[in-house]
Amino acid sequence: MIVTRKRLSLDAKYSILGAILIAPTILVFCTIIVYPLIAAIYLSLFSIYTPTMEGQWVGFDNYAQLLASGEFWRSLLNNIIWTAGTLSLQLVFGILVALMLHQNMLFRSLARSLILFPYFLSTVVAVLIWRWMFNDLYGVLNHLLMWAGILDMPVDWLGSMPNAMVSLIFIGAWKYFPFVVIVVLARLQSIPESLYEAATMDGAGRFARFIDITLPQLKDVLIVIILLRTIWDFKEFDLIYLLTGGGPIISTQTLPLMVYREAFALNQMGNASAVAVLMMLIMLVFMTLYLRKTED
Amino acid sequence: MHSRIIQANLHLSKPSVTIGEHMFAKRTFAHSDREQSNYMSIESESPQPLDVHGGVTRRSVLQGAAALSASMLPFSVARASTTIRWWSTQSSPEQFAAYKYQIKTFEAAHPGVKVLFERTSDEGYPMQLAAAFAGGSMPNLITHLPSFAVANYWDAGLLLPFDDVIKAVGVDDFNSGANRIYQIDADTHSAATLGNTAANMLWVRSDLLEKAGIDRPPSTWDELRTACQKMHGRGIYGAALPYAKNSATTLIIIGFIHQAGGQILSADLDVAIDSDEAVNALEFYHSMREFCPVGATNYSWGEILSAFTSGATATSLYSGRVLINVNNQNPRIAEHVTCRTYPTIAPDVKPWTYNDFPSVFIPAGAGDLEITKKFAAWLYRSDGYIRQIHAAPGHVLPVLKSVTTSPQYRDNEIIRRYQPEIERMDSAARAGHNLGWETPLHKTNVKAGAIINSGILAEMVQRVVLNDEAPRAVLAKTAKRIEAIMKS
Repeated sequence: MIVTRKRLSLDAKYSILGAILIAPTILVFCTIIVYPLIAAIYLSLFSIYTPTMEGQWVGFDNYAQLLASGEFWRSLLNNIIWTAGTLSLQLVFGILVALMLHQNMLFRSLARSLILFPYFLSTVVAVLIWRWMFNDLYGVLNHLLMWAGILDMPVDWLGSMPNAMVSLIFIGAWKYFPFVVIVVLARLQSIPESLYEAATMDGAGRFARFIDITLPQLKDVLIVIILLRTIWDFKEFDLIYLLTGGGPIISTQTLPLMVYREAFALNQMGNASAVAVLMMLIMLVFMTLYLRKTED
Repeated sequence: MHSRIIQANLHLSKPSVTIGEHMFAKRTFAHSDREQSNYMSIESESPQPLDVHGGVTRRSVLQGAAALSASMLPFSVARASTTIRWWSTQSSPEQFAAYKYQIKTFEAAHPGVKVLFERTSDEGYPMQLAAAFAGGSMPNLITHLPSFAVANYWDAGLLLPFDDVIKAVGVDDFNSGANRIYQIDADTHSAATLGNTAANMLWVRSDLLEKAGIDRPPSTWDELRTACQKMHGRGIYGAALPYAKNSATTLIIIGFIHQAGGQILSADLDVAIDSDEAVNALEFYHSMREFCPVGATNYSWGEILSAFTSGATATSLYSGRVLINVNNQNPRIAEHVTCRTYPTIAPDVKPWTYNDFPSVFIPAGAGDLEITKKFAAWLYRSDGYIRQIHAAPGHVLPVLKSVTTSPQYRDNEIIRRYQPEIERMDSAARAGHNLGWETPLHKTNVKAGAIINSGILAEMVQRVVLNDEAPRAVLAKTAKRIEAIMKS
């Protein structure tokens, strides 16, 4: 039997080569993104006992129960308060410190390195340090405030409201503001000096130069920072879990903590997946905004 | 006693759909196929010679590298030793040193076997174990988990019978009734008790009692409140009780409800928490808040212990670990600490001691079963077992007759010095209970772990104490939530 081999055109060969080259990426993408995503959606339609992963089909019951429960909405509200609070502080601290580090100052390089310290510090270590500082019996914070005569009695920083949420927001800002510093500082260094010189010649003061030149120049980068940090802060788990565990009651419980509690404390993997899917849908909004912005 | 219920559940609870069968079956098969093809390739392929005439091509290098790694695989497999993974919630430095001794002697007696100790915690084990079971990466052996967790895992078919180990240790060597809480039927045990713990003893400073003009430790709630009130002040808090959203608060409030004469569930496991006794317990627990440090709203076991050990509180509620910690960390107060069973609402209400019956068990699916059983039995060998007990004297109390009566066990400074306290804890722990088995009349509650992990009871405390909500209304809501768990 004679087999005739049909010659492929160069374009076809390139297409096949392209497909082969891109295949590993698609495979990795499917393995680490698509599969978990589909698995989460699939699991959310079951009532599943986590240790055995056995369960029953319940359709959209998990979603219906969640949306009807006060706990979900309270956790979402906590999530929004935490995200908005900590992000605002990160931006304020970040911009202020970046402006400071942009000036010619003594030990500027050292200061620029040290400012990144909280960002690089392991969350567990950071939490241990803060918990120790907040300790009611031996904590330095209560001790100093009482020594200074500001307090008569130690303050319960993490066990009562609104202290717990305020403390969380503050520690979150401390931990993550260096990211804002890095990005803003990089942008500040690329603003043409001539703009400031022209404004100075026109009689603009320091504040006017900041409002009319620096801020507009930072606008694009700030939007990207806000979108990225919103996504990251929204899904923050370890810092909150280790500091307050979501308490008192559920006053600092955010959606990621709710996912964890449902999945591993209550062993309800189906409910946990449903919360995770709803969380993903909320974050999808921010994701879309981010993609549109970066496309622009 | 509780065995019939567990067995019935094991037979009846067949889920209609198994996620593993649907969602993950393909993955499992794919994995098996891949493994099979690996082995086949090891047998059939041999390293290809390099193309010396045409130079070293990329293809030949890749083929050679693949064949080389394939040929090395059996070699590395052959060299690998058996590894036993051991999880425990108890791992203070002293206990860890005792474990290291037990591991070292076991490894020396069993060449080629390696024991890997991994820490978990009282607060973290439910999550870590759930993830391990779900992911199929469970350890070979787990120790020190409470009996109610064991009942829950056994009910879900996640544990192996432990009788071979009990026989290897010696059935008659265990204290009478030591393993009854783990008995499924005449021939089956889900686990064994590794030790007893009286976790909610009242610890009190005798020097402060004396200063306050009180001649003996309190035995009723009124006496306790009065004592705390008198000792509170001048930089010392009257009590250290937790008001946080954690398992410590949950387990302790269960004790208070029993000390008020109430119960969480009836003997037939109907929800019984919505009662006058529970209202009394919550009101008393609320009233004790004023004598506790402000940060008690975030306290767990560790903080309760530290507060008393450091001398910041006059009383506390804890197990015998207080003894070693006080002696090591604050010897100044060591001669003034003593313990009693925790006070009750009235003299006619008997004390209720929380004993979690620290367990040792083998998860289903754990590999290397025979050597794991040998290691489990090794943990009871007197030399290592006594070291374990001596690591925290009074905290984990021995359950083997041969150890309890041995001079080696008694040859410990703390056990000698605090003999009355150790004996009090031992007798309290032997009569102890927990939510998995509230009284001798109760059936075993396999949902106890789920109730505790849900945090419902700690939340109940916080609502009453932090939010000042009415106990009766909070209890009614709590009862409904517990009922939902019992029915789930």
